[in-house]
Amino acid sequence: MENLLTIKNLKTGFPSKKNTTIAVDGLDLHIKAGESIALVGESGCGKSMTSFSIMRLLPPPGEISDGEILFEGRELLKLSENEMCKVRGKEISMIFQEPMTSLNPVLTIGEQIIEVIQYHQGLNRQLAREKSMEMLKLVGFSRVEEILKEYPHRLSGGMRQRVVIAIAMSCNPKLIIADEPTTALDVTIQAQILELMRNIRRKFNTSILLITHDLGVVSELADRVVVMYAGQVVEEANVRDIFRKPLHPYTEGLIHSVPSIRGEINRLYSIPGNVSSSNKIHSGCKFAPRCPKAFSRCFVEKPRLAEVEELHTARCFLYE
Amino acid sequence: MINYIIRRTLLAIPLLFGITVVSFIIMQLAPGDPTALMIDPMIKKEDLEAYKEMYGLNDPIYVQYFTWLGNMLQGNFGESLIRQGTSVSELIFARLPNTLLLMVVSTIIAFLISIPLGILSATKQNKLSDYVITIISFLGVATPNFWFGLVLIMVFSVHLGWFPTGGVETLGSSFSILDRIHHLILPAFVLATADMAGLTRYTRSNMIEVLRQDYIRTARAKGFKQNKVIYKHGLKNALIPVITIFGLMLPSFIGGSVVVEKIFTWPGIGLLFFDAAFQRDYPVLMAITVIGSALVVLGNLIADILYAVFDPRIEY
Ligand SMILES: Nc1ncnc2c1ncn2[C@@H]1O[C@H](COP(=O)(O)OP(=O)(O)OP(=O)(O)O)[C@@H](O)[C@H]1O
Ligand SMILES: [Mg+2]
Repeated sequence: MENLLTIKNLKTGFPSKKNTTIAVDGLDLHIKAGESIALVGESGCGKSMTSFSIMRLLPPPGEISDGEILFEGRELLKLSENEMCKVRGKEISMIFQEPMTSLNPVLTIGEQIIEVIQYHQGLNRQLAREKSMEMLKLVGFSRVEEILKEYPHRLSGGMRQRVVIAIAMSCNPKLIIADEPTTALDVTIQAQILELMRNIRRKFNTSILLITHDLGVVSELADRVVVMYAGQVVEEANVRDIFRKPLHPYTEGLIHSVPSIRGEINRLYSIPGNVSSSNKIHSGCKFAPRCPKAFSRCFVEKPRLAEVEELHTARCFLYE
Repeated sequence: MINYIIRRTLLAIPLLFGITVVSFIIMQLAPGDPTALMIDPMIKKEDLEAYKEMYGLNDPIYVQYFTWLGNMLQGNFGESLIRQGTSVSELIFARLPNTLLLMVVSTIIAFLISIPLGILSATKQNKLSDYVITIISFLGVATPNFWFGLVLIMVFSVHLGWFPTGGVETLGSSFSILDRIHHLILPAFVLATADMAGLTRYTRSNMIEVLRQDYIRTARAKGFKQNKVIYKHGLKNALIPVITIFGLMLPSFIGGSVVVEKIFTWPGIGLLFFDAAFQRDYPVLMAITVIGSALVVLGNLIADILYAVFDPRIEY
């Protein structure tokens, strides 16, 4: 099947006077139509910067220094700003981590949904209003007329995230990028939001790029998992294979650090160390300094991302 | 909303009351008493006592205060010591409209110039136009009003002859709006510059702060172009805090108007205050102080109400 989104060798960094902080370091990724991908990795590994690169909304001074992003065969990085505006919100939309701050406090909920429908679909205000009520119903609101007139501060975090999802879905995008959509919410609300996203996906066959560091969320929603470490993909596999048979020692560590449901009383496992500053020039594997299985080769050579088993790739010398 | 306005207005009353108390005490602290200025120094002691009795100067201080307050509430501020026979309220109310006109026009000029400049500065952050605006703002802060006023008079009135050097209207001519505006431009502009620099900087920093917010990123993610993001999603958020500045600007406008009115011989309250201060005309000074304070309270009240009108997060 044709890929909806293909990212090739994406490099994103934050240049400053002295040096450039590298956030994404040669990332490859593809998403098929209707597929749901989870991008996981610990804080600071470059997940958000990957998603902002796709939208071309990197916070300044961030910039993409290399790579290609193909969306339905179009090269997004070569589009003019005006053309890109027609992609954002219409073909690719985003759901953000912080529902509390991602809605405009001085505009009504209605205005914030209606404006995007009018903008991309050229509907008149009345039709856009009807469409936005439909969207609010879709995300689980009942008294939609009233919600339209509310300001964001009157809604709870979970309700706001539903509004954000309604906005994201309102122009029937082909791809939704959800950057930690449930991190800021409490557990029961998290489950509801995930359920909602699952339903939407089933109904509209929308592709989802789900960014998270919560492996529990991954198993709920994703078909395929891409594990990122220090701006690079280190492992990629179907969701079942990742949990059953993680290849990369980093993935193994991530899975071990999820508390087990069976109530084992072992201490929570944590991977020693942290994402080492990507600025330092490593001669070897970026994970080597923290890797329990590292051997001498890991410190001198850089491993390639290689297909170890069918549809299961890893960047590790253990499998070469 | 109406309820909120009424509540806020009622809250302003104790404040005004406090202002009158403070003003009255200051008046009492002023050296000497009115009899010393009014009366023939050769007067007999008994007659002096009789005078004091007549004017209530021997009453306990709180009785004097309430008498004064009662008179004032009826618009009676006493008589001018210098211009014998003219009541203070007559003096003031003849000039108040001129001052209010000057202040309102200056406020409008200040906002109309500063806000667009602040926004331009914020959206072109660290580009040439931002630097130019910043430098001019700092020059504006550093330039004293009276000096700037004199320079403008010298250039535009004396050398170029475009504007009159002062006054509200051409002497001897009949009333005309254009003539008024012609006289108003220079003084209003000079008074406006007093706060323009601060207002520009404040708008700039608010706008920069707002443009960093998550909801701006959301607006961009919707596909909106830069202008729509800035003006629809940024502007209102950036301007709401500027409303409070309006309340803070008033005192400096009132202070500034004293200087500006003197330079442009603008027959307003500021000029009256200036002259009264040199002539130790206490009743006039007191009345102007009270009216000025009341204006400040009123300005803040308006700012509060505007805030509630524009910011949906304010619950009332
Ligand atoms: N404004 C910035 N200036 C310089 N470097 C930045 C900036 N923002 C992000 N970075 C760099 O980009 C890297 C990746 O950041 P990113 O936000 O993508 O991480 P993340 O994987 O989304 O983490 P989290 O799970 O905490 O959201 C960071 O480690 C940091 O070094
Ligand atoms: Mg992030």
